[in-house]
Amino acid sequence: MNASLIGFEIAVILLGLGLLMLDLWTPPERKRGLGLAAALSLLLVLVATFVVPMPQDATGFSGGYVFDPLALFFKRFFLVAAILVLVMQTEFADRIASGISEFYALVLFALAGMMFAASANNFVMLFVAIELITVTFYVLTSFQRGRQASLEAGVKYLILGALSSGFLVFGIALIYGTSGTMSFPEIAKGIEANHDLAHQGLFLLGIVFVMVALGFKIAAVPMQIWAPDVYQGAPAPITAFLAVGSKAAGVVLLLRVLLTAVPDLAGHSAKLLMTVSGITILYGSLCAIPQRNIKRLLGYSSIASAGFLLLGLSALSLNGISAILYYLGGYLFTVLAAFLVICIVMRYTATQDEDISVLAGLHQRSPLLATSLTLAMVSLAGVPPLAGFFGKFLLLKAVVESASNPDFHSAYYTLGAVGILGVVISLYYYFGVVKAIFWSKAPADLSPISLSLPARLSLYACIAGMLFLGLYPAPLLDLTDGVVKAVFK
Amino acid sequence: MNIGLEQYLIVSGLLFCFGLLGVVVRRNLLIMYMGLELMLNAANLALVAFSRFNNNLDGQLMVFFIITVAAAEVAVGLALIVALYRKRRSAHVEDLTTLKL
Repeated sequence: MNASLIGFEIAVILLGLGLLMLDLWTPPERKRGLGLAAALSLLLVLVATFVVPMPQDATGFSGGYVFDPLALFFKRFFLVAAILVLVMQTEFADRIASGISEFYALVLFALAGMMFAASANNFVMLFVAIELITVTFYVLTSFQRGRQASLEAGVKYLILGALSSGFLVFGIALIYGTSGTMSFPEIAKGIEANHDLAHQGLFLLGIVFVMVALGFKIAAVPMQIWAPDVYQGAPAPITAFLAVGSKAAGVVLLLRVLLTAVPDLAGHSAKLLMTVSGITILYGSLCAIPQRNIKRLLGYSSIASAGFLLLGLSALSLNGISAILYYLGGYLFTVLAAFLVICIVMRYTATQDEDISVLAGLHQRSPLLATSLTLAMVSLAGVPPLAGFFGKFLLLKAVVESASNPDFHSAYYTLGAVGILGVVISLYYYFGVVKAIFWSKAPADLSPISLSLPARLSLYACIAGMLFLGLYPAPLLDLTDGVVKAVFK
Repeated sequence: MNIGLEQYLIVSGLLFCFGLLGVVVRRNLLIMYMGLELMLNAANLALVAFSRFNNNLDGQLMVFFIITVAAAEVAVGLALIVALYRKRRSAHVEDLTTLKL
């Protein structure tokens, strides 16, 4: 047992508990500022991940927890996401009736769950991390108790989330029963020693059940049903955290299970991954077209993104995995910029229905907001020179490279074509949003929007991230290549 | 008759299917939630049986985690359903229609 390995998680949890304590001594009018204090403290933890020397590859807690470059990459990813989400929450604070400190603290607890997920190395850790994230999100999604949409979104997330947990635990039970162990590396060893295990019906069923549960987290077809409703109903900062944090946690767990526990099986299930990925991209892109609610639109766009992430996984190459990490890096800044803008605009808008039309004339109300949202949409659509373009380019490149595999020659080319088709369709609805900002008729409300300093800094950070990752991909690409090579030899 | 692993697994599989059926078929949120709990308990039974027949305790350890997490999930879940009931005076899924295209 090595408690120093989980130092960052402990820091985050203590911060959450400290925030709840601090709430008791803070006068109501200043409680809102606690979010900024928490964001600053998380910034310190983020700096600490660069400064504090950590082992390159260590396991602890009977092998259940692993600290390797992949874990570190995702821990930093989640920390950045949480910092921006906390800033977003302070912008959102006046729409929360009561319990604003809990609103902040729960995000910190979800963050701790995500950081544990990044390091999960056996099924017990995987289950506990996933549940810590999911149960926290049930509460966060329905935090606006007075708003019916929020409650409804919470209940829908609850029922479907609990359903996926049911599949997850039953899958774990079957895998444990057939392989006799919970640990990912041990399962891989078991398969190597006894090849029949990988073809045993119950074992395969277990893997499929676990995949279903992880598919729920990243919102891939056929477990994508919840995403649009929950994205629409949840408070905007929480939707952003769901879109970025919860999805990335699903991705890292998917990588760990598929590539550490059942590497051979991942190779055999290429066709399945390709099919799911293609359908997810098309479903997300096509269903997004008629949407008028901006958060719902981003919900469908998030489904399409899940398809793109699976694209990299189905390429079954190290380049594919590296592309997934790169895509997530760009996705973080892009999506958070979009939600930050939505969150601020809605604060200064009388109607609460979040229709795209409220964005009308945004460039006159606040040029920075309009620029951020435009860049975010252009980046999501995958237009150069922004981060989203490079992520999608790398993913498609990995797929085309894998087409040299004679078994799946045409399948990979078809998948690549589906990916490009998805990008083309997505241009239409993302530019619908841009059009609503700049070219809509007779905007009703042209009062200027003033931005607080933290919000402005966060927007600058997001814009810088999108531009930097689009124009200078080399640093992050070197990093992701290094991570992938170090972890999945 | 000698009760072996298979019998336990059959019962556990049946429980899982009944739970799933409850979630899919019933329209009352509380009943659906009971179905979900049944699915978790099916997994618990399978884990304990596997643990006994694999001769290691990892499975039973996992059961403790599942029970604890399920308790937390129920606490949050019932609170949510009650909050929704207060607002809508209904616990039926057909009434969850605010969020639609």
